[in-house]
Amino acid sequence: MNKFAIGCGGLLVIVLFIVFVIGLFFWGTYNRLVGLQQGVDAQWAQVQTVYQRRADLIPNLVNTVAGAANFEKSTLTEVTNARASVGRVQLDPSKAPTDAKQLEEFQAAQGQLSNALSRLLVVAENYPQLTATENFRGLQAQLEGTENRISVERNKFNTVVQEYNTAVRRFPTNMIAGMFGFAPRPFFSAQPGAEKAPTVNFNFGSPAPAASPAATAAATP
Amino acid sequence: MMLYMAPKAHYFRHRSRDRSIHQVAVVLLFLLAAISSHAAEVIPPKPAAYFNDYAGVVSKEAANRFNAQLAQFERETSNQVLVAVFPKMQSDSDVADYAQRIAEAWGVGSKAQRNGVALFVFVADRKASIQVGYGLEGVLPDITAFDIRQNHINPHFRNGDYEGGFAEGIDSIFKVIRGEYKGSGKTHLERRANTPVPSFLVFVIFVVVLSIVSRLMRRLGGYSYSSHRRGPVFIPMGFGGGGGGSSSGGGGFSGFSGGGGSFGGGGSSGSW
Repeated sequence: MNKFAIGCGGLLVIVLFIVFVIGLFFWGTYNRLVGLQQGVDAQWAQVQTVYQRRADLIPNLVNTVAGAANFEKSTLTEVTNARASVGRVQLDPSKAPTDAKQLEEFQAAQGQLSNALSRLLVVAENYPQLTATENFRGLQAQLEGTENRISVERNKFNTVVQEYNTAVRRFPTNMIAGMFGFAPRPFFSAQPGAEKAPTVNFNFGSPAPAASPAATAAATP
Repeated sequence: MMLYMAPKAHYFRHRSRDRSIHQVAVVLLFLLAAISSHAAEVIPPKPAAYFNDYAGVVSKEAANRFNAQLAQFERETSNQVLVAVFPKMQSDSDVADYAQRIAEAWGVGSKAQRNGVALFVFVADRKASIQVGYGLEGVLPDITAFDIRQNHINPHFRNGDYEGGFAEGIDSIFKVIRGEYKGSGKTHLERRANTPVPSFLVFVIFVVVLSIVSRLMRRLGGYSYSSHRRGPVFIPMGFGGGGGGSSSGGGGFSGFSGGGGSFGGGGSSGSW
């Protein structure tokens, strides 16, 4: 009888120990996943910040460029439209998107704006009076820096998402991730062209080629 | 990836052959794949100095002078400003992206304040990049970095006067970022060298644990290293001293050690 009690006690201790170990594993894993997820969300906020920074530069840029005599209207409207469509694809800045389609839409809209901006800057080359202004040069330096920041923050975002996704998918973490609803997050895809920042780095000193009649008109008021 | 399909097929055809050879082949395959996917870019190893002229464009004296200047600036302001001159870019990326990755990898600036500035120059490419850490983006915005590069560095570089370009560039950066953070009078490396080395801690813990174990053993009536004395009885010999930081900056040369700063792509990059 006594032996039986000791056996029961021993068994209980073993069971308790196993439960304790499993609990410890759950605890650690859950906390790690929360940490990783928060890292993803924090980096997403960074991504949003730099995209917002670019969007904020655009009204100023458009105003500056529109002030130049006879500036090609179509490129300007393109930028304005792209800026508007970017505004329409607003995602929660405090939480990284969980839906791959959402992120795709966001990326497509931002990519469109990138293209429109790079076109605008290429066209601006034909207006030496415009590119020579302090205001335009400042905007250009800022825009260039913003494009660099976007590329940096996007890469950092992809890195943290990858880390998180690996944790979520890897055994045995994936069991706990599934239990508590930690789903893999989508990340930025490197689209040909979209990944590359627009080449906003042209030489100010060189005289612009008199490609369009508007340029000569601007040069000789 | 297609390139490596052929050896893989080969591997399956000769299944009966010596296994170890195949294992080696597989490992090599993976290595090749790993190398090929990273061959496009090389992040140079962390530098030991503040001013690193890997391309040999300035005199030794000037390099030492710049180095001392940059180290002193960190002592005074805690901002780490680092200069690295490479013969050429080892990347297919844009110079801004490549420079950002190097700056981040080297951890210029402190981890908490992220107050690093790195000036990278790629001589053969005629490209330079000023990378500004997050914590200095406020005082050194892109326009200012652009101005420094365009008006204070590039004119000298165009004339082949690298020394003049660095002197003026470093000076301009100093002027702009001085005052943003307070210095501690020491560089990151000097501070680190003065804090107790972790091995000393390990040693202390080791001794404490040993003494506890020996006491326990004695209480349990088991073996004891010494049954006559109390207290820690087992002192490992040859462990003598333990710790004691290695002194740095011997011979007046100030070494650089990144504080773990991070970079968000701020700054200015381009050709000269």
